[in-house]
Amino acid sequence: MTALGFFVGTDVGGTFTDLWFADESGTTRVFKTPTTKDVQTGVLDAVMLAAESVGLTIEQFCAKIERFGHGTTVGLNALLTGTGARTAILTTRGFADTLEIGRLTRQSTGLNEHEYTDSFLRNRHPPLVPRSRIVEIDERIDVNGRVVRPLDEAQARAAVRALSTHGIEAVAICTLFSTVNAGHEKRLREIVAEELPAAYVSMSHEVSPNVGEYARMSTTAANAALGPIAGGYLNRLEERLQVAGLKVPVLMMTCAGGVLPTAALNDRPVFALFSGPAGCVKGAQAIGAAVGIRNILSTDIGGTSFDVGVIVDGAPIMRADLSIAGADLRVHSIDVDSIGAGGGSIAWIDTGGELRVGPKSAGSSPGPACYGRGGTEPTATDADLVLGVLDADNFIGGRLKLDIVSARNAIETRIAKPLGMSVEQAAWGIRTILDSRMADLLRRMTVERGYDPKAFTLFANGGAGPSHAWALAADLGLGGFVVPAAATALSALGTAVSDFQFNTERATYVRVQGSRTISAEEASLIERGIRDAAADVSRHLAGAARTSIRVDCFAAIRYLGQTHHLDVQLDGGSFAEPEFRALVEAFQRHYASLFGATATYAKAGYEILSVRAVGVGALPPPALASRGDQPRAGRARRVFFDDSAESHDCAVWHTTVPSEGWSAAGPCIIEFTGQSVVVPPLARVSADKLGNLHVRFKS
Amino acid sequence: MSEATDAAGLGAVHFEVIRNRLVAITEEMRIALQSVSGSPTVTEASDFFTGLFQPDGSVVSMGFQVAYHAPVCSQFVQHITKRSSFAARDGAPAAIRDGDMFLGNDPYVAALHQNDVQLVGPIFADGEIIMWAGVEAHETDVGGMDFASWSPRAREVFQEGMRVPCVKLVDRGELREDVLEMIVTASRLPGPLGLDIRAFMATLTVARARVAELVARYGAAALKEAIRRMIASSEQKMRARLAELPDGEFHGLDFLEHDGHANTLYKFHCKASKRADTLTLDFSGCSNQAPGFINCTRVGLVGAVCGSVLPTLAWDMQWNQGALSPIEIIAPDGLICTAKHPAPVGSATVEAIWVTANATMLALNKMLLCSEPYHARAQGLSAGVMATFNLGGVNQFGERFGLHLMDPLASGSAAWPTKDGVKAGGPITSPFSGIADVERNEQVSPLFYLYRRLARDTGGAGRQRGGLGGQVALTLGGIEQAEALIMTHGAEVPNGQGLAGGWPGATVRQTWGTDAIDNGRAKAADYQVLGPKPGLMRMTNRDVFAVSWQGGGGFGDPIDREISAVAADVEQGLVSVEAARDIYGVIIANGASDVAASQALRMQIRRQRLEGANPPTSIGADTRTVGRIGECLQVVMRAGYLHVVTSGGATLSTGSTRWRAGAHKVTRERLAGAHAIQLHAELAVTAYYCPASGAQIAVDVHRRDEAPLDDIVLDLGRVSAT
Repeated sequence: MTALGFFVGTDVGGTFTDLWFADESGTTRVFKTPTTKDVQTGVLDAVMLAAESVGLTIEQFCAKIERFGHGTTVGLNALLTGTGARTAILTTRGFADTLEIGRLTRQSTGLNEHEYTDSFLRNRHPPLVPRSRIVEIDERIDVNGRVVRPLDEAQARAAVRALSTHGIEAVAICTLFSTVNAGHEKRLREIVAEELPAAYVSMSHEVSPNVGEYARMSTTAANAALGPIAGGYLNRLEERLQVAGLKVPVLMMTCAGGVLPTAALNDRPVFALFSGPAGCVKGAQAIGAAVGIRNILSTDIGGTSFDVGVIVDGAPIMRADLSIAGADLRVHSIDVDSIGAGGGSIAWIDTGGELRVGPKSAGSSPGPACYGRGGTEPTATDADLVLGVLDADNFIGGRLKLDIVSARNAIETRIAKPLGMSVEQAAWGIRTILDSRMADLLRRMTVERGYDPKAFTLFANGGAGPSHAWALAADLGLGGFVVPAAATALSALGTAVSDFQFNTERATYVRVQGSRTISAEEASLIERGIRDAAADVSRHLAGAARTSIRVDCFAAIRYLGQTHHLDVQLDGGSFAEPEFRALVEAFQRHYASLFGATATYAKAGYEILSVRAVGVGALPPPALASRGDQPRAGRARRVFFDDSAESHDCAVWHTTVPSEGWSAAGPCIIEFTGQSVVVPPLARVSADKLGNLHVRFKS
Repeated sequence: MSEATDAAGLGAVHFEVIRNRLVAITEEMRIALQSVSGSPTVTEASDFFTGLFQPDGSVVSMGFQVAYHAPVCSQFVQHITKRSSFAARDGAPAAIRDGDMFLGNDPYVAALHQNDVQLVGPIFADGEIIMWAGVEAHETDVGGMDFASWSPRAREVFQEGMRVPCVKLVDRGELREDVLEMIVTASRLPGPLGLDIRAFMATLTVARARVAELVARYGAAALKEAIRRMIASSEQKMRARLAELPDGEFHGLDFLEHDGHANTLYKFHCKASKRADTLTLDFSGCSNQAPGFINCTRVGLVGAVCGSVLPTLAWDMQWNQGALSPIEIIAPDGLICTAKHPAPVGSATVEAIWVTANATMLALNKMLLCSEPYHARAQGLSAGVMATFNLGGVNQFGERFGLHLMDPLASGSAAWPTKDGVKAGGPITSPFSGIADVERNEQVSPLFYLYRRLARDTGGAGRQRGGLGGQVALTLGGIEQAEALIMTHGAEVPNGQGLAGGWPGATVRQTWGTDAIDNGRAKAADYQVLGPKPGLMRMTNRDVFAVSWQGGGGFGDPIDREISAVAADVEQGLVSVEAARDIYGVIIANGASDVAASQALRMQIRRQRLEGANPPTSIGADTRTVGRIGECLQVVMRAGYLHVVTSGGATLSTGSTRWRAGAHKVTRERLAGAHAIQLHAELAVTAYYCPASGAQIAVDVHRRDEAPLDDIVLDLGRVSAT
């Protein structure tokens, strides 16, 4: 393969900015810098480190970049902290309280599994936009797109003009049934452009063309609130990199797992809200593709949360919506589910004298007791230290000395003594409870969807993932697990190696009662939706992708009367009776695989809600290689595995990237800069050509 | 998997692992049910239940939906295991086998009302039943004389929906198609009912598979021991909670108007007697059973108690049988909440059960109000009513349809001492509820909304304001006519009572505009105010039904509310200028509050309240506070005697906490318009004031011919001992 330039992926998290890059030879490296307040400085710092590592100036380095991927939590943080742009909403008269009422479900968003039963904790997050900035417009369109009440332009103009004194930076327009007839939204946009020319405007039928006004309004409002911020920051980042010599566009990771040039996201920043988790799953997918693994449980254990994505036959499972603080958002996304379980999870004894772990986390400040930053509550990290899993002198490459005395004290006073256990038994209990909660999430993500977890390979990412993976894999009955060489920066890797992707949908409500088939008129409604969505996708990708574009179409279909639908792929762009029959058959098969054959019920009839087009413009991935080193033997230590009464002598290895073919027998621990890979007794670990570690249990 | 274990072979760690898993299984049951169900009541509104039970019916784990249902399912399991045709006898083995599933919906056996269809099945391990799994959902129509199986005209249960006491629907894994056919045939909506019963089967199948995995992993003995400990743990926590709360008697009183035939007023009285770690709930003071469909059976009463006690007292423990064990219920037969066969009970859930729960939660919150650690959690009543709008006929797609509008869940929640109530917060008896989008409703049903929004001035006034209720106006879309069933309580009873001087939220207001629509647009028309239960009405696409639901109860005296907070409420349209002035004593002029004028008005209101009042008495200084009744009343000790004194310095009672005798009171049979509260002809509202300061201490809703109750009678022997 001809030498391409550098492939660089960046991911801005709350604490660290990660950079992954592959040079011309495909050799990969990972760098971390502290995230800075202005974000782009942290990114540039990381680029600087990368340049230094290959002996180049930043200008020389940037000039050689073939692809630059980027992901960030900036948008998410802005929404969570209410620091988005000052946004107003225009909506249909009579429906201004849609966000506040929030289908009644808004009030319980953000509650964890231990908080659901406590009504005192409800309504933790206010609506995305306060009622005082939501304006009702005299207009109404019905379910069939008929204008029941024409848009009162004079009233609308006066109302929009009245907003000009409120310092409005963005306007979200969401009127009822704009998905069926967008006329009023489009006209309102023109009026806003005339009256508030500086405002950033989002229209619901563009941002989130779905029937269901609460999620559509939330999504449009979030998009509007992010628009002025996200666009500005991305443009600044791109400018600074270009000044430094970058010749390619910055490609932004989206929730759906594809990348887009920042310019293509200017009008839909909400598409990139959860770029970090999506990037991680895409990174796992890319590593899997490189080593021939197509069914993957992509796990990420950080300090506060455990995230899981599922890749089936080389493609991530998707979801239609996201829930963030105070809002349901309809954004086509890689399905990444999460529970509050991580290294910082606090162990505690409840009023009944029972041992519990999480969901409260010590975070990074004060952090676990062993960080010595004043934390006194025992955490999962403290337990790992006591159990020998972590090395007090080699945490994050020795940058943070862990204090085992504090860890033992915290566990002893808070857990072991009250429960009459030894410190080791208590630590073992903390880890076991935490691991079992994580295994429950893995089960929910597979078994609940009709998949057998044993058909998957677990990928362990994040700082704490590689040290807990052995227990999760054993709990699920898997044969082992994989630790990618870039396990601490997989999200960054994902941004550098993903294809262009853009998707959109069209509402196409068709209701087919039990015995009936589809009419020509209904079929043509669906066909129009497919064409329209596909054309939209092609248009958006045309500017971005120089390669050919593949467009796949899906229909959202359910049994008549249900609320939950399934996405079923359509075959080609035309839609008539034979395609309908094929769709229904595929739906029934998929449905039976999920809920059992007895649950299928063709007599009920069907509803086809919408069609979605997903366009992909292939970007050639880099050919990766590894320039590994032979792991060096460290000082062996005692480690507890699945028996709290007996620890094992455990070999310890140090490496940055293990060389191909290196192999060792468990029990052993392989220490990296930001993680410890735990290999249990009777297992074997070996490195592949890319430096990924494969751990296999003895069957 | 080795750890230090106790005598039964189960360590603390595996216990916690199994407990988490069992709670997760009830969640997985929920996911299966919601994915397959064809009922919007299940998929969008969460009107359903999933749970796991011990072989004796004790609740092991329950989902986060309708809590009323847990003891009902439990009772159904007991009914099956004791029933002669299924139970083991004369040496013959029990006719309950692996793979069986039983269906039932009889309120005189085990159901809240006939619409609540449930399916339960045993889970076997090592040849014996280790657990039962149960699932229940509200079905829109199960037959009977009127659409939706709720008939205001019914006088006997035989006129209502079909009743299935208990039938084996699945025999050792084989669906009995003949039985299923018989059941769905009784319904006007066989399709959705059939789909839901399939969803039930899928739900129980999930539970069985997951429990089997647990058994395979930990063994049946460890699982049984973990379950025993889960229940014991919740019981211990509940007893500890009760022991922390003050001893005494606490009364909750609520009312329900109209039984379908006549606008009779029914009383619901819960006397909660708390002593040490036990709680007795006595309902003997409730009205006798009604001749109409508003009653509930004893099953419903037990459900109401469960649904009230868990969210009010057990917010931080795992919900299972143990949390209910310390509670004893006293209620003779034949009351409105213990109706005897064949009394009609079709609408029990939104009528007698709902109001029984209201009275119970009011009583329990008064106990919290007197508790030092928990007084900040005391509140008035959230969602005092769920009004009904059902619609049936032929829809825009030419299909026979029936809908049960769930929007009325969007009533207001009560205020807390530290924060306002949640607007459109809905009931707290279900941790999760939801309503469908307007667009979804219009897409699948022949409805057209003129608005769905919050209703101004519905939140109960108080220092902390109750949450506003929602309101909708609807006509038909895509069809010319249909049959509507309209009924509620709380149109003339302010169920959403406040606490500690806070006012109740507004009453329900239902209006009907005939010929009020022209081509989908509202036009000028006369709107007629409907009574609580107009019942079945023919509706055309020129008629409008408009309703606003109750707000949540307020907390504390409204004239103590921050003036700026009232001004903000007015600015956001939550409170009218009139209500701000008349109830909150805040003058709003040109969109801003006039602070000086408001302070003067508040002084004047306090003076007016005390017109004709006796001068206050005071025991003077040198007192020691030994207890509290909220924030404005203290129980103090002086010279060996206990007294209730106000924060204004007046002594209201000595030797007991029956403080009402010493307060100044004003009784009204009609309330100022700004309250938006209509009172039934037999009801009055009495406000109690501190004779020294004029502060509003309590607002009581009571029968005109009965004096308000002394609702908090602390056991002073125990108070003074602390």
